Amino acid sequence: MPIISEHVHVERKPKLGGGGPGKIPHKRGYGGGDDGDHDRSKDFSSRKERLRRYRIGILLCIISVSTLFICLTLAYVFRQNLGTWDPIHRQWIRDWRALTLPYRQLWINTLILLLSSFTLEMARRKMAHQAEFAALGIVPIKGRAEVPWLGLTVLLGFGFLAGQVVVWNGFRSQGLFLHNNPSSSFFFILTGMHAIHLTGGLLALLYAAGGRLLKLRFDSQILAVDATASYWHFMGGLWLYIFGLLYFLKG
Amino acid sequence: MLKRFPSAATTPSKLLLRRYIFTSDHKMIGIQYFFLSLAAVLVGTWLSLLMRIHLVWPHGRIPLVGEIKPENYLGLLTMHGTLMVFFVLSTVPQNGFGTYFLPLQLGASEMAFPRLNMAGFWTALASFFVLLAAFFVPGGASIAGWTQYAPLSAIRAAGPGQGIGTDLWLVSIGLFCLSSVMSAINFVTTTVKQRTPGMRWMRMPLPCWSWFVTAILSLLAFSVLLAALILLLLDRNAGTNFFVPAGLIVSGQAVNHSGGSPLLWQHLFWFFGHPEVYIAILPAMGITSHLLSVFSRKPVFGYRAMVGATIAIGALGFMVWGHHMFVSGMNPYEGFAFSTLTTAIAVPSAIKVFNWLGTIYGGKLQFSTPMLFSIGFVSLFIAGGLTGPFLAQPSLDMYLHDTYFVVAHFHLIMAMAGIFAVFSATYFWFPKMFGRMMSERLGAIHFWFTLAGAYAIFMPMHLLGVAGHPRRYSELTGVQYVAAMAPLQKFITFAAVITICGQLVFLFNLFWSMFRGRRAEANPWVCTTLEWTLPSPTPAAGFAGRVPVVNRGPYEYSVPGSTADFVAQDAPATQEG
Repeated sequence: MPIISEHVHVERKPKLGGGGPGKIPHKRGYGGGDDGDHDRSKDFSSRKERLRRYRIGILLCIISVSTLFICLTLAYVFRQNLGTWDPIHRQWIRDWRALTLPYRQLWINTLILLLSSFTLEMARRKMAHQAEFAALGIVPIKGRAEVPWLGLTVLLGFGFLAGQVVVWNGFRSQGLFLHNNPSSSFFFILTGMHAIHLTGGLLALLYAAGGRLLKLRFDSQILAVDATASYWHFMGGLWLYIFGLLYFLKG
Repeated sequence: MLKRFPSAATTPSKLLLRRYIFTSDHKMIGIQYFFLSLAAVLVGTWLSLLMRIHLVWPHGRIPLVGEIKPENYLGLLTMHGTLMVFFVLSTVPQNGFGTYFLPLQLGASEMAFPRLNMAGFWTALASFFVLLAAFFVPGGASIAGWTQYAPLSAIRAAGPGQGIGTDLWLVSIGLFCLSSVMSAINFVTTTVKQRTPGMRWMRMPLPCWSWFVTAILSLLAFSVLLAALILLLLDRNAGTNFFVPAGLIVSGQAVNHSGGSPLLWQHLFWFFGHPEVYIAILPAMGITSHLLSVFSRKPVFGYRAMVGATIAIGALGFMVWGHHMFVSGMNPYEGFAFSTLTTAIAVPSAIKVFNWLGTIYGGKLQFSTPMLFSIGFVSLFIAGGLTGPFLAQPSLDMYLHDTYFVVAHFHLIMAMAGIFAVFSATYFWFPKMFGRMMSERLGAIHFWFTLAGAYAIFMPMHLLGVAGHPRRYSELTGVQYVAAMAPLQKFITFAAVITICGQLVFLFNLFWSMFRGRRAEANPWVCTTLEWTLPSPTPAAGFAGRVPVVNRGPYEYSVPGSTADFVAQDAPATQEG
């Protein structure tokens, strides 16, 4: 976790970033972030406090998602060792058939996801720097070429999802669906649940990236990016875990 | 240390809808949860009434309902359990009173994430409607019980309610899981971040401690249930094989599944299900500890031990799920481990009971209605809890598991004790929530009626259970040894009907007092905690920008040398303070 500097929160409004002159009060009163009915977010809490709150919230969210996947893992291991009793031949038949994973595509997806983690981290740092400069009253030079890290992350995120769809389609063309075998069931469930959770993070990133259109305050934009970054890195780690599980416990 | 603490200075919205319905104000959301649970408890109680009548007169025609068929009985059973466990016992003590009073007791004016709070409530409401919709679909409500044991819950042909009814049940509870996780994230973050200066961990009122621990349990347990629900939904709708073994013939049809295990469902379900029991009862324990101290005008006996016991119960709650599965044919060594751990829960529970008795011992007891209900809670908790160690023995549980003994056990300790804490919290916090007092006279009548009723209904069930009366059956006419127990069943039904009618006193008191009750002053019960420093009812802005500074513990009653018999938490620090 990077250091959160207190002096970013100043009376002078940052004049850049999403929402244009950063001081646009939302027409219904709130400035983004989860401030509910409270129309002045800085009264409810300073940016630093909000950031800490969000980080705890995201941490708890991560714990909850981890629990879900731990349970799916337990079910995976449990189901792998089950089977059917064949009364005619008097033997126990394990019905789990190992999948042959499309490693090339999976590795490409993994690389895309890890790369997106990197670009998101860059986006987060850039925004934090911008906020610090803005706090000092330094406005970035207009027209200077900048890497659109946030946009890149969103693209890479969609790229990962597209890669997963390619993997799923590959299985489907082999005639492997959700119901064929417990191994394919678990493959689709694990990757599918991961994709659903990743989409949640992607929506949050889109929300942050569309700050200009949504008239988000710069503060709220940073918050959204910062909170999503932790979640996104976790999604990357979770993907590595799922990949490892599918690889090492093929059955 | 004295950093500026955030608090919201807001003016309530002028739009009524925004103020009362689509609001992110934690007080209003708390009240919304309260009424959601009230609706659920009315439906759930009505269902239990129908069941009791059906058990005694299986072919009787009930006005408006007609004759209850056996499968309808199972539907009633499922919906009664689901409504009461999820929408009443897990909702009102935690989300109802917790959402309202956790920030106030901590000295904050809002939850950490107000709009997440709002989203949680609306998800819970959607979940409630989806659940009730099951009554109106072809086949009716699910008949698999609130535990939805596979394989019958996984197979559509298993009964009339096992089609759309069960799908709706699964979707509804899935939504409820999401709602609970959202609310749990909010509770934990609020407790960690929103405490006012000076509100150290060991100065938190005990309800806050139990809401906090309960939120952690919810966070973990409901994620587990969600995983299980997803697998079951896929088994039902996508043809996967997780919970159904091969070679089953259900309703005369061969089942097209193989290789799954019903035990997998039981493990996943009870890994959620047992913590769920503590999700229901821990807030009740916290509220009871709080009220016993207030109305004994004494500090809580063993505050630290209470906190420790709360955490210990929460932690042990995750290690004992197997005691619901002794009859599933588990390895005896496994059963022994679960049995030992289960018995170990008696230790923190006994610490709690000891401390409750220690709190009221030698106090200046004031028998107001909240106090009566709190004492009732302790009584029911002991009565229901004592049968716990019996059921924790695998050999005894083999016999008692599917009898009324278990029904008696969990209704006394979870349902009755839980609802008594809800009643005491309602009578206690009503002035803060609605600005008026509830009638003490009606409250006392309600208490004695309900206490007598609770024992009259559930004590005889122990006897039924020991005599071997199986539970869950809609009708056992013609079974000889059961026929001998008919008079006792009839007695229970009469007791249930009378007790349920007695609850009309509470409903009348609630709604009458809301509009006609005596106006309440700011601190009618002379309490120390921060919510009572605000006027009644709580203004929309909460502490309105004021930052309360806490100098004292939460239970400073009858402090030697003090002029009043209590010292508020934000009273100025003294030399020794």
